[in-house]
Amino acid sequence: LNLESFIHVCLTGLSTGMFIWLVASGLTLIFGVLGILNFAHGSFYMLGAYFCFSVLRLVGGNFWLGVLIGPLCVCAAGYVIERWFLRYVYHLALPYQLLLTFAFVLLFDDLVKILWGAGSIGSPTVAGLSGSVAIMGRNFPTYSLFIIAVGPLVALGLWALIEKTWYGRIIRAASSDREMAAAIGVKVPLLFTGVFMFGTWLGAVGGALAVPFVGLLTPGMGEMIIIEAFVVAVIGGLGSLKGAFLGALIIGLLSSFGTRFIPTFDMFLIFILMAAVLIWRPQGFFGEAS
Amino acid sequence: MEKKGLTRRGFIKTGLLTAGAVTLGTGIAKPTGMWAATPKVKGPIKVGYQAIMSGTLAGYGEFHKMGATMAMEEINAAGGIAGNQLMVEYRDSTLQTPEAIQNARYFVDSWGADFLAGIDSSGQALALAPVMAELDKILMVTHAATEKLTEEQVYKNGIKQIFRICNATYQDGNAAAFVAKDLPAKSWATVSPKYEYGYTCWEMFKNTLTALEADVTFSAESWAPFGTTDFRPHINTILDAKPEGLYSTEWAGELIAFVKQAKQAGVFERIKHVMFPVGAAMDVLEGLGDDMPDNVWISGRYFFLYPNNKRNNDWVARFHKRWNHYPAYVSETGYSTMYAFKKAVEESGSKETAAIVQALEGMMLDTPAGYRIFRKEDHQAIYDVPWGLTVSDAKYPFKIMGKQVMVTAKECFNRPPFEGPGTRPPY
Repeated sequence: LNLESFIHVCLTGLSTGMFIWLVASGLTLIFGVLGILNFAHGSFYMLGAYFCFSVLRLVGGNFWLGVLIGPLCVCAAGYVIERWFLRYVYHLALPYQLLLTFAFVLLFDDLVKILWGAGSIGSPTVAGLSGSVAIMGRNFPTYSLFIIAVGPLVALGLWALIEKTWYGRIIRAASSDREMAAAIGVKVPLLFTGVFMFGTWLGAVGGALAVPFVGLLTPGMGEMIIIEAFVVAVIGGLGSLKGAFLGALIIGLLSSFGTRFIPTFDMFLIFILMAAVLIWRPQGFFGEAS
Repeated sequence: MEKKGLTRRGFIKTGLLTAGAVTLGTGIAKPTGMWAATPKVKGPIKVGYQAIMSGTLAGYGEFHKMGATMAMEEINAAGGIAGNQLMVEYRDSTLQTPEAIQNARYFVDSWGADFLAGIDSSGQALALAPVMAELDKILMVTHAATEKLTEEQVYKNGIKQIFRICNATYQDGNAAAFVAKDLPAKSWATVSPKYEYGYTCWEMFKNTLTALEADVTFSAESWAPFGTTDFRPHINTILDAKPEGLYSTEWAGELIAFVKQAKQAGVFERIKHVMFPVGAAMDVLEGLGDDMPDNVWISGRYFFLYPNNKRNNDWVARFHKRWNHYPAYVSETGYSTMYAFKKAVEESGSKETAAIVQALEGMMLDTPAGYRIFRKEDHQAIYDVPWGLTVSDAKYPFKIMGKQVMVTAKECFNRPPFEGPGTRPPY
């Protein structure tokens, strides 16, 4: 094992981890506040990518405009889902909520096939970020470095929002005791819609940023990432953003090192870790024991 | 309609006459007319077609459908199969084995299919073989490529109901090794799918290349599970091994993602000889566009610019007019499958499985990909597809095969004799 290889495996793991974090953050936020395990989060990721791609086509290739506008379109879908569907199942058992969100996964997959076609679409390259930089004599994609930088920024932003702002305090209040918050005048339904839309937006931004990272748009592209995001959320403690961030880092590095050094078991490693965490600390690293 | 009906009756009359002549004349006047010996075939000819139509590979299902549907339209417009309408129903195979078996049973037991076709996954194809034997209906495989299907299930286990119209892993493994032996690369590595298809191709490539070129080495292999979108960890493995040649049977969207990510990591500058056995797929070429590097070796199960003759070029033009797409290889195999069924029914004058098996065995079929012959022993269609180097062409918004090398099917589909020395690579 030489240093060049080691550094590249590390960087690759970091970029993979930060990428999963971008998707897992919205999932975790929604679970933490609304208590909904949202399978359709992978669909938001997919829609984010497709909308970003379409905006890119319309405005002639400005990727950043795509990242800005695309996810906002998906937010509208988030509004409809929360306001007109999820709101009616909050009081039901978890399986009903899972079934409902899973129904949306199927709906959105077909919607994408109708709107954009069933085939895969190669993504456009991003000016300025499509190249690579030489690190220890080997090329590392600039865009991966960008993802490594964005991850912690999103984490910092979320932390500041929830811990340091007035909105954050209301969100925390409503998530710890819905009825009490309502009693002191918090408009809980409105708040839930807002948080759900924000979580949707985060997932969609992850999808938009995936356009150049994965290099490919396909119907069903959200199904793989959502599994990883779930693993991350479980390891970190469902609902804990801090935990999801740490979990994503661990999963990213584990998959990078696993693929490189113990290739036979690379998939196995991630799930064995999840199993181990569930046995020794069922609530995850930062989850609260119930 | 009325007029057509008259013609049809006329034809059937001629058919009956010819058939009569044959029985009397001990085969001197062999029936060659359209429905020459077919008065007993009744009712629509129903083909149950299953392919992947959901998830990330849904585009393949669409391409299967385009080819098979176009053949159906053409055949029905020209009077159907032995005067009967051809009907095709499609189902999503989902790539899951239980689903494939369920579909097959539905098609045969509930829908009343006469023939089955399709199948993308090697695992599904292998699992379906005994089911087809039990159902006693013919399955024409149009995409799944593992050689075990035809070698073991058909040849060894004697399951006569399976035929394969697409080329097999011989093209991906053997033919690739024939091309690789003439390249200066002496060490090879792979990033390939972590399932049956990926393993069997790499094994064949290694064995054949070692037999052809004793001093070749294989320095790294990295197996990407189905659904991999992040190939960067695999790329690290390859770059660490510093091979001179890269061989990858990644396909469809995963190949697109792999090439894009490999390009960013500078793989194509470091490794000069790259081979993608299924890189000549239209979804890959169109999906990558300019991102496909030049001078990469690609092949497939059919490439729309080969053979460059009137038969194929006319077909491609018709296909493009009908669907606004260039035909993918599964479009060609799906299309030709319908004509294989048509020819078999019309030649045998029956849609009974035993008669169709007999008609298909050794049949020579004129298809867009060229003449195919269904080998009697293992039911594998023999036809040639070139390997070629990618190049830009002003006529197309994607890379095409430039310089081509032909390893003929006769050379590289290396069995029969199927038993004894020389049947397994190295041979």
